[in-house]
Amino acid sequence: MSKLTKSPTFKAISEALWQSNPISKQILGICSALAVTVQLKTALVMGLALTFVVAFSNLFISLLRRQIPRNIRIIVEVAVIATLVILADEFLRAFMYDISKQLSVFVGLIITNCIVMGRAETFAMGNPPWRSFVDGAANGIGYASILCGVAFFRELLGSGKLFGIQVIPDGFYAAGYHDMGLMLLAPGAFITIGLFVWLEHTLLKDK
Amino acid sequence: MPNALKTLIFATVLCVVCSLLLTAASTGLQSFQQKNAEVDRQKNILLAFGIITDGQPVTSIQIQELYRNKVKSLVVDESGRFVPQDQRSPKDLPLYVYVEHDQLQAYVVPIDSRGLWGKIHGYLAIENDGATIRGFTVYKHQETPGLGGEIESRWFRKNFKGKKIVNSGGDFVSINIAKGSAEGAVAADRQINYVDGISGATMTGKFLTEGMKQVLKEYEPVAIQFRHKNNRYLRSE
Repeated sequence: MSKLTKSPTFKAISEALWQSNPISKQILGICSALAVTVQLKTALVMGLALTFVVAFSNLFISLLRRQIPRNIRIIVEVAVIATLVILADEFLRAFMYDISKQLSVFVGLIITNCIVMGRAETFAMGNPPWRSFVDGAANGIGYASILCGVAFFRELLGSGKLFGIQVIPDGFYAAGYHDMGLMLLAPGAFITIGLFVWLEHTLLKDK
Repeated sequence: MPNALKTLIFATVLCVVCSLLLTAASTGLQSFQQKNAEVDRQKNILLAFGIITDGQPVTSIQIQELYRNKVKSLVVDESGRFVPQDQRSPKDLPLYVYVEHDQLQAYVVPIDSRGLWGKIHGYLAIENDGATIRGFTVYKHQETPGLGGEIESRWFRKNFKGKKIVNSGGDFVSINIAKGSAEGAVAADRQINYVDGISGATMTGKFLTEGMKQVLKEYEPVAIQFRHKNNRYLRSE
């Protein structure tokens, strides 16, 4: 067990998911975290799309890391990332049209998401392919987990639903309960993300 | 020199590989995407007519069936007369009608307007009185998400319902998007021709107002006939 927890792959995973979670610790990718977290469904799809892109961009860049000429490495990274993002976008438009319409530009904007570029530049350029792939996937899941967490509260409090299904019973509304309109707007996302950041920092400090 | 050459070769190979991948994906998935876009277009016509409502979960099969059963696609000429299939010319205008209980309930004109960043495509449904708006939808646009992009949001679109494209005297005035709230922007007697604008998207509103006016003007002969007798299109079939 101690051997497992000390392996570099394990360390990469636990860092990405917890100690330096891209959103709640590194405060990266906030733009899309604000925009797509009104509903759980869009947040989940966005999280999966990003996970796909980071994992595979890390894998390909790591495979190529000895061949990539140093002087054009950033542009090579961007080209690989952009190709993967467009593939993800085309796929969503073919098979999940409604969600892709709701996500609108934000899938395309994964290209500029600092998480993807950051992992490619700092991790994949210096680590073997398998570990890079796992690191990318873990970072994507770390991002997706915060997105889904934020979306859970925003959808529940903002429209009384989860995954589009009404969960707050009609009786509550009859008794005077109101959905919290603020949660549907960007400030609601800011506050929720802020609380997540606070929670993580507090828990880490106690350790 | 060999270093520069290596860089050049690497870049070229990478570009070719990436573009091949993207071309393959785009051609391979095109038929699915086109089908989705077509269903989405039909869904928006149904939404404009109010046959289905926003947020109501419908499958693409249900959409296609509803569309087949309730919506008829026609073509009219410049003077608003129905054109049979074999006599169509490129100048003719497409028109969609909603028939229920052997009565023509409403018709839809396709909106094809300039926007701030690109074309805005949508549908405007008008009741069979040729004057009252029944619904409005946008299915394709390139406006800024959160600002002009709000034209496709429910709150903006539902403002159109019940508004008129004619003034109290019955003359054509089109439908306008106010700057800010319609109540504050225009006199009480003209509010029936105005909908609330989107804050932060004045230009989008301006272009859309202009675009809808152009389209509605082209379709005015049709609307006039509806104002006179609304069953004409049913009989001419």
